[in-house]
Amino acid sequence: MALIDRVESPPAERTSLVQFLIARPEFGPFVLLVLEIVVFNALSPAFLSALNISNLLAFVPELGMLALGMTMLMTAGEFDLSVGSVFGFTPIVMWTLYNEGVTGLEAAFIISLLLAVLIGAVNGFMVTRLKIPSFLVTLGMLLVVRGTALYITDGFPQSRWTTDSPLLGILVGDFRIGEIRIFNSLLWFIAFSIILGYILMLSRAGNWIQAAGGNPNSARARGVRVDRTKIMLFILTAVISAWAGITSSIRVATANPNSGTGYELEVIAMVVIGGTALTGGRGTIIGTLLGVFILRVMRNGINFTDVPGLAYNIFIGGIILGMMALHSWLERRHHAGT
Amino acid sequence: MMINELVRMHHINKYFGRVQALNDVSLSVRKQEIVGLLGDNGAGKSTLIKILSGALRADSGEITMHGKRVDIRNTTDAIKMGIETIYQDSALVPQLSIARNIFLGREPTRMFDLMDQQKMNDVASKLLKQVGISKNIPPTTPVSALSGGERQAVSIARALYFESELIILDEPTNNLGVEETQGVLRFVRNARDTGHSCILIAHNIYHVFQVVDRIVVLRRGKTVADDIDPKKTTIEAVEHVITGMSL
Ligand SMILES: Nc1ncnc2c1ncn2[C@@H]1O[C@H](COP(=O)(O)OP(=O)(O)OP(=O)(O)O)[C@@H](O)[C@H]1O
Ligand SMILES: [Mg+2]
Repeated sequence: MALIDRVESPPAERTSLVQFLIARPEFGPFVLLVLEIVVFNALSPAFLSALNISNLLAFVPELGMLALGMTMLMTAGEFDLSVGSVFGFTPIVMWTLYNEGVTGLEAAFIISLLLAVLIGAVNGFMVTRLKIPSFLVTLGMLLVVRGTALYITDGFPQSRWTTDSPLLGILVGDFRIGEIRIFNSLLWFIAFSIILGYILMLSRAGNWIQAAGGNPNSARARGVRVDRTKIMLFILTAVISAWAGITSSIRVATANPNSGTGYELEVIAMVVIGGTALTGGRGTIIGTLLGVFILRVMRNGINFTDVPGLAYNIFIGGIILGMMALHSWLERRHHAGT
Repeated sequence: MMINELVRMHHINKYFGRVQALNDVSLSVRKQEIVGLLGDNGAGKSTLIKILSGALRADSGEITMHGKRVDIRNTTDAIKMGIETIYQDSALVPQLSIARNIFLGREPTRMFDLMDQQKMNDVASKLLKQVGISKNIPPTTPVSALSGGERQAVSIARALYFESELIILDEPTNNLGVEETQGVLRFVRNARDTGHSCILIAHNIYHVFQVVDRIVVLRRGKTVADDIDPKKTTIEAVEHVITGMSL
């Protein structure tokens, strides 16, 4: 019983590895990143100096972790504008508890992460159960969380603290590879990338995440617990944001109630540049890693050129528009061919 | 209970506001029976089968399977009971591959929630052949890259693999080409031999005549015929039953 009795079509010509790679959504971002590095290196040898690479790698994990969480969430068809505020708020809580002598540092760390779980759960609950768009829910949450951080601290940074807790070393201790200084936060970032990449591409949970973003109604009809999946991802995003914010506060030895302001948009930009669809259903951790580096290298490299730093946003905006055009072109070409 | 009865809907009523879409409708399907459900636009066909597939709930009436009363609260319940529904705009996730769609919600896993993609792809390849996709489409192809008929084939493959007892097809041939339509009809005709029962809704009476064992006709939410044998009647006669004009 042939559903479609077409005459056997000639065997599709074997696509070469090169063609395969070019068709990947990550290919465009990859080329762009290489191009950036080549150009900045040509403009200034200091760009690839050990010091500058150390600086670049110190900051990448912090925004990068937010981008990882956002990738998972956006693949499921939602996004979270409150990540930057959680990034700023949770270290404030941790250090305030510790400095006021309420708890030890480890307990304060756990309490901060649990607060992030609560924030994520409230976001997820309001989006899935009350059916309010994630734009509105997480915008509201951004204001509540940022406002709380400012209220607790009266707007002043938390700084002087002394502790011999091993937590600091575990989260952000540093070591050297040759002349390059590496923070442990980079190792955590790599570990998170591998774990989340595995979940998204190879696990059953990943199939559910993609289905939840691609066609939630039919996913639901197949027994996929769409709402639960989304709530878990909101929690994941909030917790990883807290982890990143605490990491950052330890590295710079200050917890500023305003830190992380504006990160949400930069992070969403990183994720979509990498090829994850804003509308859900399709996500790539490798693309996000490329997107993170594209924007960080741009921001860092521009210091080595004659372009005034204020022009940075022009380039970022240009990259976003260019990459979106490329992704949509690839998408259409892909469909036209079949 | 009839011998060999698979499912029966008893005295179903359904209102949408003040519109009564179904008025005391009963419908039964035997094991390995292909039932054609006919009726004009708005007669209540889709509403009736949506109640059976869990997409809608009846205001009153009950459903029995194998003679036992069942409560179908949602589509997940229906699928668990072996009732699969295939719509024209198929309920697939376009971004996911054929294999991932077939197994969605019932993915085989190993340790650490790892999907057994090897198994999924192997089974999907076999199923695609079984439903007659002779073209060599890799099971890793995203559904968004498939034609309407190929998507129907994927939905059908899914119904076959999970051994659904009852496969409901609501206008499955809308917008399909001639060959793809023939493919769907051939599938329905063969479903009986593989142990499945079917409810087929189609506006093309000629298609229905080709494949079904029995025809049920709804008119304005009421059953007006439930035992028409296509071998013993003519298309014109059935058309008259559908429109309500006497011969
Ligand atoms: N969700 C709904 N809300 C309100 N009225 C509805 C809804 N769904 C169906 N109806 C009404 O119920 C009646 C039966 O509709 P139904 O879709 O079951 O018809 P049908 O027999 O499938 O028609 P068609 O052949 O056009 O698909 C129609 O009068 C329709 O307008
Ligand atoms: Mg209908």
